[in-house]
Amino acid sequence: MFAALVAPSIPAAAIIDVARAFTPRFEQVGPLVLLDAGGLSRLFGSPQELGTHLSEALAKHGTGGTAPRVAIAATQTAAALLALGRPGLTVIAPGQEAKALVPLSISVLDRYEKLKKLRAGDNRHLEILTKWGIRTLGAFAAVAGPEVFERLGDHGLQWQALARGVDARPLVPWVDEVPFEAALELEWPIEGLEPLSFLLARLFEPLSERLEQADRGATVIHTSLRLTTKRVHARTLPLPSPMRDPKTLRTLVLLDLETHPPDAPIDTVRVFIEPTPGRVTQWTLLERAQPAPEQVSTLIARLGALMGDKHVGSPRLQDTWKPGAFAMDEFRVVSEEFRVKDGALAPEVLTVHSGLATVNSALRRFRFPIPTRVQVQEGRPIRVATDRHGCSSGAIVQSAGPWRTSGEWWQEGRAWDRDEWDVAMADGTIYRLVVERGVGQWFLEGVVD
Amino acid sequence: MPVRATVEALLRERKLDRTLTSAIPERLGEDAVSPLDVEALDRGLAGGLPRGQVSEVVGPASSGRTGLVWAALAAATRRGETVALIDTFDRFDPPTAAACGIVLPRLLWVRGQAVSKTAVAIDPAWLPGVRAVHGPGTFVERVIDRAIKSLNLVVQSGVCTLVAIDLIDVPAQALRRLPAATWFRIERAIEGSDTAVVILAAQSVARSSGGRSIQMGVGRQESGVGDPGITWKGDHDRSRRLGGVRTTTAIGGARWSGTQQVAVHTRFVHAG
Repeated sequence: MFAALVAPSIPAAAIIDVARAFTPRFEQVGPLVLLDAGGLSRLFGSPQELGTHLSEALAKHGTGGTAPRVAIAATQTAAALLALGRPGLTVIAPGQEAKALVPLSISVLDRYEKLKKLRAGDNRHLEILTKWGIRTLGAFAAVAGPEVFERLGDHGLQWQALARGVDARPLVPWVDEVPFEAALELEWPIEGLEPLSFLLARLFEPLSERLEQADRGATVIHTSLRLTTKRVHARTLPLPSPMRDPKTLRTLVLLDLETHPPDAPIDTVRVFIEPTPGRVTQWTLLERAQPAPEQVSTLIARLGALMGDKHVGSPRLQDTWKPGAFAMDEFRVVSEEFRVKDGALAPEVLTVHSGLATVNSALRRFRFPIPTRVQVQEGRPIRVATDRHGCSSGAIVQSAGPWRTSGEWWQEGRAWDRDEWDVAMADGTIYRLVVERGVGQWFLEGVVD
Repeated sequence: MPVRATVEALLRERKLDRTLTSAIPERLGEDAVSPLDVEALDRGLAGGLPRGQVSEVVGPASSGRTGLVWAALAAATRRGETVALIDTFDRFDPPTAAACGIVLPRLLWVRGQAVSKTAVAIDPAWLPGVRAVHGPGTFVERVIDRAIKSLNLVVQSGVCTLVAIDLIDVPAQALRRLPAATWFRIERAIEGSDTAVVILAAQSVARSSGGRSIQMGVGRQESGVGDPGITWKGDHDRSRRLGGVRTTTAIGGARWSGTQQVAVHTRFVHAG
């Protein structure tokens, strides 16, 4: 037995409060609330009496306007359609649903479907049925199933089942959103991250279990540590993809705290998780399996703790002519969209000669250019002298240049104006030599290798 | 052969039987190697860099050693694989790498710390407790230590199928001070996995039994002896451009008899 409540003049939250007062099993479908009324007869009497109780409870929240509608029937679809299509209280005996639905307008079915969002896209069934002269649910229910299927397809049959009061799916009960939060107050303050690891494990295990039950994954973890100094050390850790493995979550938070440690012993540990729907992954046999986001996140966090956040990631080119310019992005496992199609780089990058292997040269850039003394003759560098260990000094055998570049002169402190030379030393080393034109200072910028 | 059987039994008893080829079956097929997509080199390497093994690329400056490792990284990223570069002294140049065909979003770049005489230029997180720039227990050793730790983390995670570590500018004494177990640990971590590790260095450092040794610039030493093989384009001073470097590469392996020589042309690429 199901009850349906519709009350346009009452706020949705108030209708839900009324439903919760009668049963914990109810579902909200837009402005309509469906109750599982099975087993309520012991508390509220017959279906008629239950309907009266529901109407009275709704009336208490009413502010005038349209009177609340209550319908009780053996199926949720019938109850919903009756509540949408008939005013006041309607109670239908079991087995009489189809009969009770007969006089209802076909437009009720359209309204109900829109509420439940059963089907995406434009609904033209109402228009078609109206053109056919079908005005009521009874008339539509009377049409033979194969005829409906031939003309309206699967959706037409689903519509007809609804018109007969048949349920398409079971009731999905409302679940109260309980925040994914856990806290531990400590009798004795703790120092260091090792004991904190055990506490975090205790906090994350039940939270992960709840996330799994709700088919949710953590997308952001907020950790707040109340310290003995009465200050709160708060950290927010955004995750690259939803995850709920307690060990991974604990490791990520610990590594984050290792990089940004609290400056005093900890009194209280509180963890709050922002949930998001779980990740659905469809693997294919035709492409290489990519590493799991949990693996990648843990690796990046470990590397970040060891090397520093700015030292780990993927390089990204910038839209500038400035030599060596780049930006660092967070490293993520990218999809196949980034895969370079065969031949796309063939002419420039991939050169194959039989017998002779051709590879492209790399530039090993000195991130801090090495100041050097250069002897110039007729405008060309002829000798390099540097005291840097591992760098060649001496006569330049051959050189090519200058390649002049300048830019960003419109931004203070970022302008560059320089000449580049490629120079070969006697020992075969090829350097990129740069002279800053404004100051005349020479630098070794890198080695061609 | 009773002697051989006895030796094998003793090795097995001491759990040293992985030195025998019977312990882990030889990987077969195209998935056994990570090709460089350079025909002559792949032929010389018997397909490419072997997966589950540590290989090394060594040679003097400007011999094309870095270009060869970049070629391997570029080929792997073009195949849709995820690769990593442990860049000990932060020498990687992304614009040139992109011009060489490396798909940058697929590259995990672990940047070490470039050495500078100006302390303010160095990330403060790398400095506490460091008193001198060179020598044991110094800044340079800290940089090398973190690079090795990073390599361990990356290979143990199994996230990347090709991992390169750049040790070219590491002083030879510092490399010699690294415990031998360092490379043995890496070898065990990737054994039987899809990951190929390649060490890029000036001199030979380490290689696993199934790995390859690629010696670039054979016949040319740091002393400058031998023809560097640098080619130039253009007849006039003003129009001259660097063309590339022609060198000879020797490829060897523990399970191979002798070495194979391949002529390599390192073509100059300018990112601009």
